[in-house]
Amino acid sequence: MPPDTLSTLISRIDFALISSVHILFPPLTIGLAIILFVSEALWVKTQDERWYRLCRFFEKLFIVNFGAGVATGVTMEMAFGILYGPFSQAAGPFFGQVLGYETITAFMYEAGFIGLMIFGWGKISRKMHLFATFNVALSSTLSAMWILVANSWMQTPTGVEFKDGIFEVTNWLAALFNPNVFAAFPHMLLAAVELSLTFVVAVCAWFVLKRRNVDLFLRPLKYALVALAVVAAVQVYMGDVLGENVLDNKPAALAAMEGQYDTYDKDGNVNNAWNIIGWPNKEGTGLAWSIKIPHALSLIETKTWNGAVEGLNSFPKDEQPPVVLPFYSFRVMAAIGGALLLLGLWGCWLRYRGQLTERLASQQRLFLMACTAAVALPYIAVIAGWWTREIGRQPWIVYGMMTVKDGMSHMSTALATFWLIGFAVFETAVVLGTIWFLLKVCRMGPDLTSPVAGEGHEHLGELDLPEAGKADHPEYVRPI
Amino acid sequence: MTNHLDDMQYFLANAWWLALGVAVLLYIALDGADLGAGIFGLFVGDHEERGAIMAAMAGTWDANETWLIVAGGILFGTFPFVYGSAFHYLMVPLAFVLWGVMARAVTLEFRHLASAKWQCFGDWVFGISSLVVTFFGGMCVGASLQGFKLTHVEGQVPHFAGSAFDFVSAFSIWTGIAAVVAVLLSGVLFVRARFEKDEPIRQDAARWTATIFWLAIGSVVITLVWSLFKFDWAREKWLGHFFWIWAIFGILALVCIDKVRRATLRDDDVSAVLWYCGALLIMGLSMLITLHPWLVPHTWSIRDGASPQVSLITFTMTMGGFLPVMVMYNWYQIWVFRARISKLVSHAH
Repeated sequence: MPPDTLSTLISRIDFALISSVHILFPPLTIGLAIILFVSEALWVKTQDERWYRLCRFFEKLFIVNFGAGVATGVTMEMAFGILYGPFSQAAGPFFGQVLGYETITAFMYEAGFIGLMIFGWGKISRKMHLFATFNVALSSTLSAMWILVANSWMQTPTGVEFKDGIFEVTNWLAALFNPNVFAAFPHMLLAAVELSLTFVVAVCAWFVLKRRNVDLFLRPLKYALVALAVVAAVQVYMGDVLGENVLDNKPAALAAMEGQYDTYDKDGNVNNAWNIIGWPNKEGTGLAWSIKIPHALSLIETKTWNGAVEGLNSFPKDEQPPVVLPFYSFRVMAAIGGALLLLGLWGCWLRYRGQLTERLASQQRLFLMACTAAVALPYIAVIAGWWTREIGRQPWIVYGMMTVKDGMSHMSTALATFWLIGFAVFETAVVLGTIWFLLKVCRMGPDLTSPVAGEGHEHLGELDLPEAGKADHPEYVRPI
Repeated sequence: MTNHLDDMQYFLANAWWLALGVAVLLYIALDGADLGAGIFGLFVGDHEERGAIMAAMAGTWDANETWLIVAGGILFGTFPFVYGSAFHYLMVPLAFVLWGVMARAVTLEFRHLASAKWQCFGDWVFGISSLVVTFFGGMCVGASLQGFKLTHVEGQVPHFAGSAFDFVSAFSIWTGIAAVVAVLLSGVLFVRARFEKDEPIRQDAARWTATIFWLAIGSVVITLVWSLFKFDWAREKWLGHFFWIWAIFGILALVCIDKVRRATLRDDDVSAVLWYCGALLIMGLSMLITLHPWLVPHTWSIRDGASPQVSLITFTMTMGGFLPVMVMYNWYQIWVFRARISKLVSHAH
């Protein structure tokens, strides 16, 4: 491989690593914030202490995840300019502006209310705290919206003119409300909620399985399973909407996702079969082999028995995305979507059969183990989904207007390798640390003894006395 | 490439440039204290005390670091041409800064969950990464002041045209060191202000103050003299027709520095921190005005670096709509925690 291609490849992998690791954390922040708001609202409304205990417990997990999200997110913002300098310059007037809005309206907003949410218990009134939690949920959702606006614009760049190497915005509304964002943002938001529900299901199921605090964790488990069944079903529909959106706007990407090389076969009939699995031939002009279901592709994509789906070979060779990765990552994502729906339905069925009571629930060992193990699935699905989306857009960085190659900063092979190794080490440390501490918080379990936070102002001016046995430790008190 | 901004747009670009400068200064003032306290922690032997230093910043570090993100956001949104080329130029030092930022965030947020052995390791990582962020951050500033090479192709945005190690020079290494000294002063003042007066850790910090204070003064003087000889844009302003403006700035900065000294001598720690921030703000603003109309000297002017899409609508939306809301809830957050008294060692979320 010539050194130029090699360094380009390494620097692409580097950006892929930075963005793939970052996307592990924000979905849980978004979804769990919404779930925390719901359970806190239930506590404020019903005064049932169990909701409060659950809130405080899941909040600990939330913070671990949030810390990792900030750590990898700062990197993400800087990485555009460093690794994709020419792209950042060209797209900055729109893309940078939108990311700037994300910083100001969402990131700052979130940072402010997260401080209140974490440290505000007992210092502000219950309603005010609930309001803070609400704002954390709203701001993280807003943040996702801005990011998806920017990313969708790269998929369907409307409202701009590419002139003198700069994307000039000719119509702000058309650029902001580009065709792709209407399907992509709801899909991502639902993914965040689905991931978080699975996370809650897994944690609760583990406690029930271990027969620890069953009275506390069974109720959220049942609620979350029902919610998961509903959300997963809606997500299947939303995924289909996004699929059609891709077909309309980025036909080459859809062709790669489905391994559709030729629109018509040799006899001029429509290629309507859906490839379950397959592998491209050496020349990259068709599938060497595949297992297919006739008519399924036309049904899924065009909702007709024999509708034509444009194949990859109708695009010039240098405008075709790679096939294997989007093809399989798409299938992995879709399969996981189905699996989570089944898990939710399984839970609903057990509940309907009266198996999920405090007395009986812990005996459903297979179900509870499946729930706990399922926590890995939505994470894999999120990464697979983003790979499908981003690799499907290749070779373009801004679809049909600018190629990734033109948007990259030039790096020597040595420098690109230095970056890759450095980031691989640090990002791995962040991921492993996060998993380790999430597990540790779960092992420690919920705090059932501290006094419930009151209506505020109660701790002001009060000094905590040293606990017995720890009196030799110095006390550190901040002056007022 | 010539950028055709009309008068209104040029005015807005200048306003954004000022906002960018203020965000960077706020970052240096606020997170500087956290970074300095982190470096100071490397010299603190007691495990509990190190934990207490980190606990003291636990509630604010992410809000402080947010100003760096805001600066990045303004740079990307309003000065994309500078963002895309300067970050490419600073690829190597920024890598170190980012690794440091990641390591700091993780070791700080996870400390209260870790076992004692891991806490010791984490504290060490926290201190080293604070040092790394500061040194390479300072190098980035020095390297930016020197400017960098751009391509000049008709009809194209100028890209970065130098090599990855152009940022290394005696001057940029010096600014890295100077940043460590400045931040250390900030950190020591922060530790003094956050702990009870008879705490051993506060007394250690107090003992350090005098030495670091004079080191910081020395660093500032060396940086100024070096800049005067090295940079024509600084020479023209400082020794030019309006030299008295900079003389006034200089005197104001000296007054603030003197106040810092007096406040530390009479153990008035909060005043010391405030006067330190005042000195930083005055010196920072005078540096900004010295730079004008350059964003990066001899490389990017405000006019050329600004997005041709700068518009009154987006500016008003940000400064008129979002910013007041932002300031309002930040103020509320600070107000809520105004009188927080807690046993910082037992900090747990």
